[in-house]
Amino acid sequence: MSGVRTERYVEEARRGIADPVLRRALSGLQERFGRGTAEAYRRLPEGPGLRQTAHAIREKAIANLDLLLERLAARIRGNGGEVFFAATAAEAVSYGAEVARRRGVKLAVKGKSMVTEEIGLNPVLAAQGVEVVETDLGEYIIQLAGETPSHIIAPAIHKTRNEVAELFVQKLGIPHTTDPPRLTHAARRALREKFLAADLGISGVNLACAETGHISTVSNEGNIRMATTLPRVHIAFMGMERVVARLDEYEILLRLLCRGASVQDIGTYVSFIGGPRRPEETDGPEEFHLVVVDNGRSRMLADPRFREMLSCIRCAACLNVCPVYGRIGGHAYGFAYSGPVGAVVTPLLTGVRRGRDLCLGETLCGACKDACSMDIDLPRMLLELRALLAAGDASWGVEPTGGLEGRAWKLWAGLVSHPGLYEGLLRAAALLQRLLPHGGAGWIRRLPPPFSGWTQSRDFPPVARETFRARWAKRRQEAGRG
Amino acid sequence: MAEGRGERLFFETLRRALGRPPQATRPAEDLFPQEPSAQDLRLLAAVSGRSEREREELVARLFAAAAPLHLQVEAVAGFASAREIVLRLVAEKTPEWGGEKQLVAWRHPLIEGLGLTEPLARQGIPLWITHPLDPGLAPEAAAEERRRQRSRIAASFIGVTTADFCLAETATVVLRSRPGEPRSVALLPSIHIALVRRGQILADMKELFALLRWEERFRGEGLSPYLSFISGPSKTADIEATMVHGAHGPREMYLLILPDETPDAPHGRPAQTPSSPEAGAA
Repeated sequence: MSGVRTERYVEEARRGIADPVLRRALSGLQERFGRGTAEAYRRLPEGPGLRQTAHAIREKAIANLDLLLERLAARIRGNGGEVFFAATAAEAVSYGAEVARRRGVKLAVKGKSMVTEEIGLNPVLAAQGVEVVETDLGEYIIQLAGETPSHIIAPAIHKTRNEVAELFVQKLGIPHTTDPPRLTHAARRALREKFLAADLGISGVNLACAETGHISTVSNEGNIRMATTLPRVHIAFMGMERVVARLDEYEILLRLLCRGASVQDIGTYVSFIGGPRRPEETDGPEEFHLVVVDNGRSRMLADPRFREMLSCIRCAACLNVCPVYGRIGGHAYGFAYSGPVGAVVTPLLTGVRRGRDLCLGETLCGACKDACSMDIDLPRMLLELRALLAAGDASWGVEPTGGLEGRAWKLWAGLVSHPGLYEGLLRAAALLQRLLPHGGAGWIRRLPPPFSGWTQSRDFPPVARETFRARWAKRRQEAGRG
Repeated sequence: MAEGRGERLFFETLRRALGRPPQATRPAEDLFPQEPSAQDLRLLAAVSGRSEREREELVARLFAAAAPLHLQVEAVAGFASAREIVLRLVAEKTPEWGGEKQLVAWRHPLIEGLGLTEPLARQGIPLWITHPLDPGLAPEAAAEERRRQRSRIAASFIGVTTADFCLAETATVVLRSRPGEPRSVALLPSIHIALVRRGQILADMKELFALLRWEERFRGEGLSPYLSFISGPSKTADIEATMVHGAHGPREMYLLILPDETPDAPHGRPAQTPSSPEAGAA
């Protein structure tokens, strides 16, 4: 997998926090979508409890994943489509690259797809001479700017209209304007040419339905419908977990997906694709390929602690409420997936040790669970990851963290079971803390190592002059006198 | 390329992860029911037993849902008033990409009922009618015919389609893919006009899926190879969260609801010659 930058979390987070434009954009986004989504769940005719129903549907689908994928593949093949099961990112990418090579593809138009970001498809296609054009407006903007998405649904949220204006003047040669409708129209014009000329359409999959044998895609712009209708070949990439058994279950998930993603009752375009066009049809691709990607998902499936993560349908509602994401932005998470979903899924897909800072950085406030359209217990899995990092786990390639923490707790246990010694140390600390720099109300500004990390961004309360026990005894004495 | 060794290994890994014997497959009947559930039957009964008053309520709900989506809905009395609306749009709107005014429409009785051919011909405005490909065509000839139809669709500023269903709850038109009814007619032109009969309006997706799964008339075709839900014109909010209509698909969308009985249907007019330029621009 290319482009994993999870080791740089702390550095990138600091950069995000220092960027006032990003902070303003994110707080606007969270203000609108965070609240709106909660309200949209409440307004559901079935009530917000529909999220629990959805959770049960997802659990059942995951528990029967083999059967659902077999059925999906059999149906699509029966309709003349091709299905490829890829164990790894490399297999998925080389299948796509091979199709492109065989069909002599020069230009590919792409709908927004996180799984293709995950497997690193674009650079490989580009290396064999295929021009790959992102067509979601946000994705197009960041592709022109040579950047990566910072939000699953709003990938260019970190760009201002002025930045977009300058970019379009430079790359599209249009007169300078900061008017969003005019900028959008410039992109519409440029991309329409690409759509009409492209040989290959690439899309992700929001959800597939096994019973009927269709994948489905959701978009507001219509770019995915273009990419799956006009070019002669369509390849769809799908994380292997994105399937449900039946249409009635699909219906529930789609409604929650649209509410979680963008506070909509339904996206403007929902397309169900079951195969290539038929011989008498005028449009639609003559070849349809579905690439089902494992790439580490079966490991999550095998581990009861993390199986629940496969219920996620990447609506990104958790990003819109997360206080950490809202301050550091999506780039800090160093991979295709950001926010709380990224903090769990990125380490599991790309290496828990490498991505340890992602789960340590989240606050465990629980907002993500309340916002999750599938009612996934993200905070529980963040804790599981932290426990795994502390205790070590060979199956995830994590060694225990030297036992320092364990020894510290043992020392603490020893101290508190010897009250005399404990009080003596407290008194010593009360005296020694005077040597440390103090701030308002006597709070300690900086602690010496190994505790200095704690006071890097906050103060530490001082040890009281008098211990609680001494104070208690004194008060009782006073009360007795009164 | 299908069902090779790689695929076997993929499924073995998957079953092992699920805690199942890696080679064994299981019956899947309980996952894919063969009979409608009680809920499905309730939905089917609701659709078939809908009273006139309930249908009126559905239309009202459709109007309410369409407004915030910028989907313009008109309930018309008959073909004549629908034709007037289309002709007014033809007169008022200008082609987004320049060039002459041209229209493209599916070959469909409901659209033929509009009788657009003559008034457009009088104005010298071409009306392209799409048609299915002859399966006997040689590959090169078929490719050539596809290219021809596509360039006409792309050159048209208005595309007229019907719909299989319409969902009141979300103001959604539902199009199944069928030979002769290219989906790009609802995609490439800047303005999309969809025609439905009032009886095609359902309450929501639940009803639609119950019909597509269990109702004899619709089951055979099912979802078809490409089912589209379209709820209003194309839009984006990717630049500073400002809503803009017309991202890639149509900038404007109109839904014309015809009554179930249209006494003013023209008769004796044969279907338009397939995709012949003479059809409109004689």
